[in-house]
Amino acid sequence: MSDEAPPSPLGQMTRRTALGALVAGGIGFAAFGPRGAKESADGRIVLDYWEKWTGHEARAMMKLVDAFNSSQKRIRVRYLTTAGIDQKALISIAAGDPPDLVGLWNYNVPQYAETGAILPLDELDTKGEVRAERFAQGFRPVLMHPDPHTKKERQWAVINTGGVLALYYNKQLFREAGLDPERPPRTIEELTAANTRLIKRSKPGSDAPLERAGFMQTEPGWWSWIWGYSFGGSLYDAGNDRCLAASPQNVAGFEWVQRTSEELGVEANKTFKAGFGNYDSPLNAFLTGKLAMVVQGPWLANVINAHGPKDASGRPSLDYGVVPMPVTADLYDANHPVGLIDCDIMVVPRGVKHPEACMEFIAFLQRQENVEAMALAHYKSSPLAVSSKAFLENHPNRGILTFDAIAKSDRTYRVPRTRAWPQIKDELDAGLQRMWSLERSAKDELAMIERRSQEYLDTVEAQRKQRGYGRA
Amino acid sequence: MSSRTAQLKRDLTGWIWVSPWLFGFLVFLLGPMLVSLYYSFTDYPLLEPPIWTGLANYRRMLTDDTFRDVLWRTARFAILFIPLATALSLAIAGLLNERVKAGGFFQAAVFIPTLVPMAGSAMIWLWMLNGEYGLINQVIKAVLGWAGVTGPNWLADSRLAMASIVMISLWSIGQMVVVYLAALKEVPDEMLEAAALDGMGPIRRFISIVLPMISPVILFNVITLMIGALQIFAIPYIISAATPGGDPRSMYFYTMYMYDNGFRYGQMGYASAQAWVQLLITLGLTAVMFLASRKLVHYRS
Repeated sequence: MSDEAPPSPLGQMTRRTALGALVAGGIGFAAFGPRGAKESADGRIVLDYWEKWTGHEARAMMKLVDAFNSSQKRIRVRYLTTAGIDQKALISIAAGDPPDLVGLWNYNVPQYAETGAILPLDELDTKGEVRAERFAQGFRPVLMHPDPHTKKERQWAVINTGGVLALYYNKQLFREAGLDPERPPRTIEELTAANTRLIKRSKPGSDAPLERAGFMQTEPGWWSWIWGYSFGGSLYDAGNDRCLAASPQNVAGFEWVQRTSEELGVEANKTFKAGFGNYDSPLNAFLTGKLAMVVQGPWLANVINAHGPKDASGRPSLDYGVVPMPVTADLYDANHPVGLIDCDIMVVPRGVKHPEACMEFIAFLQRQENVEAMALAHYKSSPLAVSSKAFLENHPNRGILTFDAIAKSDRTYRVPRTRAWPQIKDELDAGLQRMWSLERSAKDELAMIERRSQEYLDTVEAQRKQRGYGRA
Repeated sequence: MSSRTAQLKRDLTGWIWVSPWLFGFLVFLLGPMLVSLYYSFTDYPLLEPPIWTGLANYRRMLTDDTFRDVLWRTARFAILFIPLATALSLAIAGLLNERVKAGGFFQAAVFIPTLVPMAGSAMIWLWMLNGEYGLINQVIKAVLGWAGVTGPNWLADSRLAMASIVMISLWSIGQMVVVYLAALKEVPDEMLEAAALDGMGPIRRFISIVLPMISPVILFNVITLMIGALQIFAIPYIISAATPGGDPRSMYFYTMYMYDNGFRYGQMGYASAQAWVQLLITLGLTAVMFLASRKLVHYRS
């Protein structure tokens, strides 16, 4: 028997060719494979800008990006719509290959700032073009966070578009229910009474199917945690890093939520809500008249104009008004409205090659005319301390003055500034539904949420301490 | 050429041909697994370097209420889903094994749902189970409406959330049905005929002949189902996010919590520890099944 290896069915040359092809493929991939082009053909610096927006919101930003690219010959910005942007940004920064600019949400600032994932803008902004003082006082705190090492407050972001929450109400439905459409609710008590008047059922009975509700704290359900603020509560004591979910004011706020659910009928309101269409559709419950009042931002006007009822000439005909979110009678002050600030921000990740070019683009976006152009296109508030007359006059939301007044109020509130917020919010989201279903009393549920949330806060503090920058 | 050289050349040829797989295995599977094992012993917020914390992440699971909740919920899902999916797919395979008209059509009809992407499947069921306009509740209303019976809020009612997820998952058992059908066709007709001549009824024949004959396939399918059940993610993830008024925690499963820890909460070390615990649970249960199979599974060899 021969010791020679049996001839390969593919032959010697074929094997060599195959090996050669593998090697050549690898070299080719390394040499010509996909990569981020950091310099364009005309020698410009290329900045990759990841943003969450699609549709008309993306188009508005792309228009500004094009205007910037045309305005100078040194920098070219490439806009890329990115789904799940906060998670993808997190991974790209951790991997050391971040985009040059990222559009995030204000609640991302603590996590990104504390871990050194983003650059402090006050350091980059040598010309003082985007300082926090430019923004309305309600917006300023979302840009700031203590430097983890020096404990000094620093500016980490700018606001792309601003959002303020207020109460929308349907004037036509108010008239039908015998309520004065020019005297909308100011206090929680008035809001509760209006809700009672606006409830409409298909037959008598407290749990009979609903045809219309006045107000539901679970619609749209994006801000499950805000109800205690209308009672003077707060969720977080930043100074002591304590969760305050079970404070008496929060308990009172969520007991009010439970009373609303009870009045509507737990099963009836769940079935009723299951019939609500998507937010950005003609089946939006506020547009169809199933819900007479809803807490929303100024952007709802876009949905109203796009999908709401129209008159004979095709113009939007939904007769609505906007007022600050009602508060308890003792807190009511017309000159100092209470409202949530929620906004889209822009940051520069750690590790970018051209931070000064990023700053040039940010400064361009932050010019008053560009900020207002974006806000108009997005149907949002201007985050700036001073809004131009033209902006307020041309804004498509008829309640823009209300939103503007809330933004400038000294009684606005924001997402608690802690890295543990995503976990705490998930607890509150689930807790709201359990309280709404009357599965557990507000007091018990909030006590559990507070205990769990404090554990999350403590875990984050332990992480900080391990890295030598605990809060103490 | 010496025999040693020839052997080396043969080995080299083999390594070259398996190298693409080997590269993928080392770089995309074994490497990440070992790295995640290391991370599981660290505090790793993703944006900062990991710090060695020993068994802290594993200890944390013992006191983490949410971890306990998701583990128990996932176990309940597996306990409900595996027997139901096995029984249902066997029953459907049994029916398809009969010589019926348009059998090919029914086989295709059963298999098609497995081709629908998970996200599409979730969206379809979101509407099927909608409390007000859903097809299922409309049927209930049409049939039992005269007695005042109305359908429940399948997805928004936390008491029914688990049943809904099981129901949706059962929609995609076509692949198992095909495997069972192939196994049933392998059961020798003469054996069944002989048993019938000996006076065995159809149920007895199924229990005493068919089940032992296809028991290796049942074992394979049950293990596959168990692994899938412990990893359930896409359907509850999409449905809980899109269900108005539902308690999102009633559809919160093990892998969802692991994902949140890793990519939303900045707790990659804890998420890695959870992944390893999940792997150990899966390996443990698989080992138990193999041990049990020694007595319960019949191999022709």
